[in-house]
Amino acid sequence: MKKMCCTILCTASLFTLPVGAMAADVTVDSSTILGLGQSDREGEKKETLLPVTQFLGLTADKLGDGNVSLHFYGWGRTDLAGKSYNDNKSAGNLTYGYLQYRFKQANSNIRAGRLFVHEGIINEQIDGVSARTDLPLGFGLSAFGGATVHATHIVGENSDGRGDTVFGGRANYRYKGLFEIGVSGVFESAAPDLVTRAASDYRRIGGDVWIAPFRAVDIIGHSSYDLETKQFAEHSYLLNIKMTPQWILTGEFNQQNDQSYLYPWTSFTSAVLNPDDKSSSVGFSLLHEVNKNLGVVVDSKKYTREFGTASRFGGEARVNFMDNSIRGGIGYHYLDAGQGFAIAPNPTASYHELRCYVMRDTKSYFGAVDVLGDFFKDSIYEESRAWEASTSLGYHFSPALALSGSLSYGRNPQFIEEVKALLRLTYNITYSATGGKK
Amino acid sequence: MRVTKIRLLLLVVVGLVGMVASCAQMKTIPGLPASHPEALVAGQQVNCAECHEDQQKGTMKAFSSFSHTQPFVKNHRFYAASDDRLCSTCHKSSFCNDCHTNKVEMKPSTIYSNRPDREFQHRGNFITLHKIEGKLDPASCYRCHGRANNERCIACHR
Repeated sequence: MKKMCCTILCTASLFTLPVGAMAADVTVDSSTILGLGQSDREGEKKETLLPVTQFLGLTADKLGDGNVSLHFYGWGRTDLAGKSYNDNKSAGNLTYGYLQYRFKQANSNIRAGRLFVHEGIINEQIDGVSARTDLPLGFGLSAFGGATVHATHIVGENSDGRGDTVFGGRANYRYKGLFEIGVSGVFESAAPDLVTRAASDYRRIGGDVWIAPFRAVDIIGHSSYDLETKQFAEHSYLLNIKMTPQWILTGEFNQQNDQSYLYPWTSFTSAVLNPDDKSSSVGFSLLHEVNKNLGVVVDSKKYTREFGTASRFGGEARVNFMDNSIRGGIGYHYLDAGQGFAIAPNPTASYHELRCYVMRDTKSYFGAVDVLGDFFKDSIYEESRAWEASTSLGYHFSPALALSGSLSYGRNPQFIEEVKALLRLTYNITYSATGGKK
Repeated sequence: MRVTKIRLLLLVVVGLVGMVASCAQMKTIPGLPASHPEALVAGQQVNCAECHEDQQKGTMKAFSSFSHTQPFVKNHRFYAASDDRLCSTCHKSSFCNDCHTNKVEMKPSTIYSNRPDREFQHRGNFITLHKIEGKLDPASCYRCHGRANNERCIACHR
């Protein structure tokens, strides 16, 4: 009931604008994608697949007194032939649709409708309201509440295992651009009982920090605590050292208590995990911007779990030419991982990965070629490698309208051969002469 | 009992006065513009310090922290968690929701196969690799698929 009320109220809020206030800056982003495919499964008849998917975004700025805006984004798909996913020939989703009032001062705003909230440890999609503001003396406050967005259908269940309402917020303090600390929390109503699996309550609090004692150094990260398991769920921190504008050293540390961090994940019955099991990773990357056209990164990361350790190292280079209209990249990484991480019955999970791409974008045409290859130390399902090559070519009929096509071919242990093709019609336009491109 | 009531009343009055004073003060707190005043080139590794060097005002973080270097792009979750209002001056929410959403129709790397520079996750053969990568770092799966967007996980992980 609460969920229904929230949904109705939030949807109704989108229609409260007087028609006379609709004179606004309007941005439309539309992509129509026609997929071309064939399903060829053992023991089944070959089937041609022709799904058409429409992605549509709409933003109307400067409504009402100039501080109101409307934001909408979603997609819908119908199958012209075959069934591209599950048993439904059509599907759709409203990703977000909200009304925002933005105050000119203090970075304050109020939003109502279907929206995403990213604050500290909070990452939620809700049908509800959110508000936030900076306060005097460096303080800040945000809060949100509403109905949980249930988007997952679990076979054999009437629920996705999540509570119907959710609320939370964050309070923070900043000092002279030198540091910021924040505390945040998210509380969901009790998870419903499921027939085939366990559903767990989701109530979590956490703290986040950003410290920049010198212009060249910053540390940023967060820790979260699960109120159900009464244990820290995660510690995740990043260190950046800008030795010079051309050299940046980055280090990261992540640690999760598996049971607590994964506790509300309905896909896996995380509640039965050993409370002492931890996942950790420590890594670094070193970036060198050789010049404006070339950047090189080397990186390494070590993973530790209860069944072993693994490490990954490699590097990549990126180039751009002709005012960014030609871009390219090449990268190599090697994962060194033992049996604990392997796909049974392999003795190791180690593999090399190579990737390179190049793309060109002009006022008239654009194109891209992308190649990715994985070379396994031990064959997976009798395949020693997997690779995919894709190419795209398109034409701008105008700055707003473009037609393009993509074709990819690959071989991998899962599908032997995989061919994908699609046609894409994009229309992106802003009926306004001011502001930056978003 | 009466003393407690008086203290509570005083506390409420002080709170109200504080709120009124804060609201009055808030008019003097600067806010970010709704959108970046100059259009930026799509696909560019934006260097904020090119224009914003030494322009750290009040309690704002240094703009140079947000330059879109390769490490920044890889670790953008840390910055978006506390400063998505700065992100929103250039990026619409849909830019984030191409990947971070509750329900997707196809892999972002397929939708934007003409933009290999955007470094989308799950390129190529990831359906095989996820059996290794998921064991290496389950948190990296959970961040997107744990609370949402897990319908395709549940198709196999029953």
